[in-house]
Amino acid sequence: MKTFFVFVFFVATSLSAMAQEVVNHLLIARNLGEKVMHDGLSLRTFGFAQTLNEQPPIPGPTLYANEGDSVVLDLFNVSQGAPHTIHLHGLDVNQENDGVPHLSFEVHHMDHGFYYFVAPHPGTYFYHCHVVSSIHVQAGMYGVFIVKPSDGSNTTWDGGYSYDQDRLFTMSEMDPIWHEDSVLEHPHDTTVEVHDISIPAYNPTYFLVNGKSEQQLLEPEIALQTSKEAVSFLRMANIGYLANRITFPSELNATIVSTDGRPIMPAEVSDTLWVLPGERYGVLIEPLVDLMDSISISYVNMNTHLSENIQYIPVNVSGTNSLVELNQDLGFKLYPNPSDGAVFIVAPEGIPYTGLKVLNSLGQVVYSELEIKQSNQSQILNLDLNQGSYSIEVLYENQTIDVLKWIKK
Amino acid sequence: MNRILICFLFLSIGLYGLSNQILDTLYINQGFFQTFNGSTISYKSFNSASDFDKTNAVLTYSSIDTVSLTLINNDVISHQFRSASLGVSSVVIAPGSQANISIHAEQAGTYIYYDGQDYPNNKNLGLAGMIVFKNSNAASFYWNLKELDTLWVNELSNGITPSAIYNPKFFLINGNHNPNINLDPLARVVGNVGDTILIHISNTGNASHSLHFHGYHLKLLQSSEHPYQEGRIKDTFPIHPMQTLTLQMVPHQPGEYPVHDHNLVAVTGANLYPNGMFLTMLITP
Repeated sequence: MKTFFVFVFFVATSLSAMAQEVVNHLLIARNLGEKVMHDGLSLRTFGFAQTLNEQPPIPGPTLYANEGDSVVLDLFNVSQGAPHTIHLHGLDVNQENDGVPHLSFEVHHMDHGFYYFVAPHPGTYFYHCHVVSSIHVQAGMYGVFIVKPSDGSNTTWDGGYSYDQDRLFTMSEMDPIWHEDSVLEHPHDTTVEVHDISIPAYNPTYFLVNGKSEQQLLEPEIALQTSKEAVSFLRMANIGYLANRITFPSELNATIVSTDGRPIMPAEVSDTLWVLPGERYGVLIEPLVDLMDSISISYVNMNTHLSENIQYIPVNVSGTNSLVELNQDLGFKLYPNPSDGAVFIVAPEGIPYTGLKVLNSLGQVVYSELEIKQSNQSQILNLDLNQGSYSIEVLYENQTIDVLKWIKK
Repeated sequence: MNRILICFLFLSIGLYGLSNQILDTLYINQGFFQTFNGSTISYKSFNSASDFDKTNAVLTYSSIDTVSLTLINNDVISHQFRSASLGVSSVVIAPGSQANISIHAEQAGTYIYYDGQDYPNNKNLGLAGMIVFKNSNAASFYWNLKELDTLWVNELSNGITPSAIYNPKFFLINGNHNPNINLDPLARVVGNVGDTILIHISNTGNASHSLHFHGYHLKLLQSSEHPYQEGRIKDTFPIHPMQTLTLQMVPHQPGEYPVHDHNLVAVTGANLYPNGMFLTMLITP
């Protein structure tokens, strides 16, 4: 019996050690970042990088821990100017580690600041700078912290829903005026709580999903590809200053299962999800049919309740019609995308094509042009079609040689 | 049949005996709102005294109370007390006149009262507040959220319906901005670890807000807009115009933690950071 107890103790100890690992993360605060927007405009940014020789990405790197892990977060501030902090949004850390300047600590130029906490409930959380937060968050100092279940498995929480893939969509906006030196290089007096720092009117012109917008959303790291058999867990997080109204195609069978790192009981079946600034939601999708469509995200002004912009995340549900399989990547391009109706098809050098077919999200051909004479020129299509997601098949002698995704606004 | 009627009569008398009859008075006052950056704008409030106070009275009663509310109009235009969620509306009250209204809540919760006359113009001149029917002795705090677009209010004061897009520059809780919100004992959450604390929130402005709590997750006890969401545990709570929430917090750790609108434009005031919708909670061990 004694031997048995010793054995149980060792098993329990080793299981406990497995469940409570120490996870170290490093974030390097930079304030001379540069971000090239979808239209080529370059904006100065602040942000968090993980190496000294990279531009700080926006959003910052996604950080992970398992429930119960002891997390040590090292903030290394190499930027000059105002100090920075890390606020662990939703992680309910103690005051010392909460990252609010006058209630916690600030990290100054070339200093390190260490944040300690135990990863709580599995879920989606933010980290962001809380120094003059209106400016520093807009400047780009934010990212997502994901807590997975204690075993690190693809389940929403211990005993929760299982999923095949996990996708994070972080919404935000950018107003170029806020990225000018006159705004970013604000005064900062560490001896006062209320700073009276001047803030410009907020008129964003870039509406972002994972830091990208417009045609950039067609890129594989944004577009959602899945199959009829797959369950996808979508983490929808809003760190912007506008509300997001998210509409899922009904065929995705969206079910909202969690919010702010806690389960929703009972889960809510809905095609529409509002995510307001600071909120996070977990959404399971399990499509039952092939589909080529998009998830639309409306950016709604909190004062006027008017939509200022809509962005589209392409969705492909198919075992055989996924973007990867259809797109043979011959290099055909289309622009602008999304567009109101007119779209240019640009052929790569030396690749002829003889026809085009436009298909709607149901796979129906809504336009075709099959007698293009060995063209290798740009071609404009001006189509009077309903708003939605379309695929344009490029043909050579009735064979599909490339497929382009197009969103009609 | 006679026995049933007698039983019903006794039951009715018994239930009536359980309810409290409360007399209360509310004044409709006109005055001036001084913004922290020196502007003075004409403003109106429902107050518990005949002197103008920019903060609309927070009316708190027990859920078993039936309130006989006397309304006295000290203003120079007509007004009307209304609460759509409680299903009550007074007669139109002429300048210098008074009226009486009886209020009873079918269930405990946080409600909004406002001026139903010339709606929403008089409401947008300031006339909207919170009324709470409680069924708990838990410590309670009260946040009436509003914004101020001084251009709108000035036009409304001059009888002009605003045509400009709503563009508030002041984001207020109980009429105050940061850091003065912490000076308001109705708003500033103080308590101990393990206490049950209720926070009653109304949004009587025109903008939506998204209140983020540092340090704690809270339970949504009541939502006027989305009752099906009651019971959810969150750290960030959206609230749309003319809606209410009741939140329950049981602090698990001590400390001083902020609560603020995570529309980070709304933590500014008159374009200055952080003079907006921001306060802290103070929890002792």
